[in-house]
This record gives sequence, C-alpha cells and structure tokens, in this order.
Amino acid sequence: MRGIEDEVLVRRVASGDERALSDLYDRYAGLVYGAGLRYLGDRGVAEDLVQDVFVSVWRGAAGFDPGKARFATWIFRITRNRATDLIRRRRARVRMVGEDVLKPPHEPGEEDSAGKIARSFDVAAALSRLSPAHREVLVLAYMEGLTQREISEQTGAPLGTIKSRTTAALRSLRENMLPEEPPDG
Amino acid sequence: MDEREHLKVRDLLGPYVLGALDPEEEWEVEEHLSRCAACRAEERDLRRTHERLSDLAGIHEDPPPGLKPGVMGGLPRRGTLRETRRAPIFAAAAALIALSLFAVFSSSGLIGRDAMASATLEPTPRAPEASGELRVRADDPNARATLEVWNMPNCDKNEYYELWFGEEGGRVSAGTFKVDEQGQGTLQMSVPEEAGNYGQVGITLEEFPEEPRMSAAKPVLTGELEGS
Repeated sequence: MRGIEDEVLVRRVASGDERALSDLYDRYAGLVYGAGLRYLGDRGVAEDLVQDVFVSVWRGAAGFDPGKARFATWIFRITRNRATDLIRRRRARVRMVGEDVLKPPHEPGEEDSAGKIARSFDVAAALSRLSPAHREVLVLAYMEGLTQREISEQTGAPLGTIKSRTTAALRSLRENMLPEEPPDG
Repeated sequence: MDEREHLKVRDLLGPYVLGALDPEEEWEVEEHLSRCAACRAEERDLRRTHERLSDLAGIHEDPPPGLKPGVMGGLPRRGTLRETRRAPIFAAAAALIALSLFAVFSSSGLIGRDAMASATLEPTPRAPEASGELRVRADDPNARATLEVWNMPNCDKNEYYELWFGEEGGRVSAGTFKVDEQGQGTLQMSVPEEAGNYGQVGITLEEFPEEPRMSAAKPVLTGELEGS
C-alpha cells in the first residue's frame, strides 16, 4: 500500500479538509523547518516560516495545478519565497534600529548552490510514495539513525529481511524520484 | 559467476552504501563488486540515492511539537464551521447583552447581504493602549468579519490572539491571529454560524500548546456588537 499522493491531499485541502493539511504538515514541516534554520539561522523565525508556508498552502491549494508542478516543487518555492520575505524584513529591521549585531542571513540560493534543499523536497515526496514497510526502514535508518540490527529489533523483522528491505526501499525511492538536474547557475 | 552469490550481494547493496554491514559482509560485497559490472552499476545508482536521502536527513529537523497545533489553529477560516468550544466567558457578560447578533444574522427582518453589525473594542488593563474595530457583514453563504486592531502588545513566540463571539454560557472562536511589530493587524475571516447567537466579542491572548480557552485571565479587548 502506498501513501496517499501529495497531489490528492492538496485537492482535499482545497476543499477545506484540515486533516489533509495535517498530513502534508507531517510530511514536509520538518523539511520546511530545517530549510528555515539554514536560510534564516534563527529558530523563532524558522517557526514563523513554517506557519507562513502552511497557511499559504491552505490559502493557495485551490490554485495549485498538478499539471504544472509537483506539490514538492510548489511547497519548496513557497518556502524559498517566504524565507526571502522574512530575510528582507529582518534586514530592514536591522537597518532601522542601526544594529549590526545580527549577522545578515543569506538569501535562499546563496548557500544552496548545489540545490540540496530543493532536491530534498523531491526526496521527501518520493519517500511519501513508498510502501509503509519501505518508508519505515528508510526513516529509521536515515532520520532516526538506527543500525540495521536496531531496526530489526524495533520492527521485529529478521536482520536479513531488514538488509534486503533496505536495498529494495532504496531502489523504490530511486524510481520515485525525479531525475537529478544540474544545479542552478 | 555464482548466481547465488550475485543475488545475495545485490540484496546487501543497500546496507553496503549505508556503511551498515559487518566487516565480513563488506569484504564479500567488495570482492564481488570487483568482478561484477552489473552490481557495480547498481551500487553507483544506489549510492546516489543514498546521498540524496542523506542530504534530506541532514536538512530535516523536527519542529517543536507545539508548533503544529498553533499552525492548524491559526488557519484562516474558509467558510467551514469549526468545533464550538463551550465554556464560561466574561463573568459580567449576561448583564451587558445590548443586542443579540442572532437578530442580525437570523431574524427575517435583518438578515441579508447588507446586514451589518459592528463593535468598538475597548482595552482591558492587560493592554491599556490597545483598541480595535470589528465589522460583521452577513454575506452569503457565510457572515464575514473584518477586524482591525492597533497598539496590541506583541506576542511571544508561543502566544497568539484569538477572536471570540460569546456570552455567558457559550462562546465560539472565529479564528486566531498575530499582529505586526507595531501591534497592528487587519484580518478578514468567516464568522461561525453559532456567532449569531452571541452579542459580545472578545480578543484574548492565548498560548500554545495549551488548548485555547478564552481564558478569563487574559482578555485584551472586549466589545458589544450593535446592528446597523
């Protein structure tokens, strides 16, 4: 069984389904927050970014066109644009109060020339499309940092099964990801 | 080439690129890779996937657990009714009901696209400089409210404001908001159907992750709705 596709959830959000937005939050909030920390360097502002991004998704879901972009691409663009807004607002405030204590954060893209953040949204989308068993083994290994033996103990599956499942899950993830593009100039 | 060995190694390529094999298995895989072009190609592909997943894991960070209720609770209303949370509200409310919004929204004489109600919001000692105006228009299919506030105290990171319609014995939230750095805010929101039963409005300072409760301890602005 595969996870419900992001694009299906967005349609539900467009019709006012808060639970669908909650599911999208579970899939992407960690990435938006992590991207916010990299872009903005401040936990409080990164939290504001998460709030802004998901309110934007809520407001803009009806206008989202899956024919033009994947949801992962769309939410990444919202994240980058909102982060840019927050950075500019913060720079203006720094100038206004004449402080130079705050290190000006970098515009999104300046420190992300390799496009790691953008590509990570695509990986998160691909991860959500895996079967629960495949997603579980990768989340435990990569996000939780568990060893194969610890995953075996946690899931109750034999160690050999976990090893072959990890391989199968990586293959499945590869098939669900968009082909890598050269980084933006 | 031993087919069994080939299949076994292909199954181990995932934990191999993760660096999660024990030394004996790792040696076995590397020895096979030195002789098998197909497995080398597969290993290169899986390693690229592994690197992208590692990038994601490096960027991903769990947000504070209190953030999600704040985000979900702060969604602008879109015409759907939310759960009504019943609880006692301002103690003096019963004596102050000047006009029931019910008349504005529900009676046959007043309801319609142009039916209006408004309230001037007066400050409490918690925010003596604050003020606000609330206008409600009974548009189809839902009533819409426009709220303007000034000189509101800034919220801490885990605080937000909540607009309530209510009177003694009942209340309903119309939404949550924050103000800008100058303490100002202009918001438009759908008004829950139940609000038509109430003549008082209030704005409270709430804190997540606690359940919003129109806390008696933290009203910031209060007012009474009057029809026009």
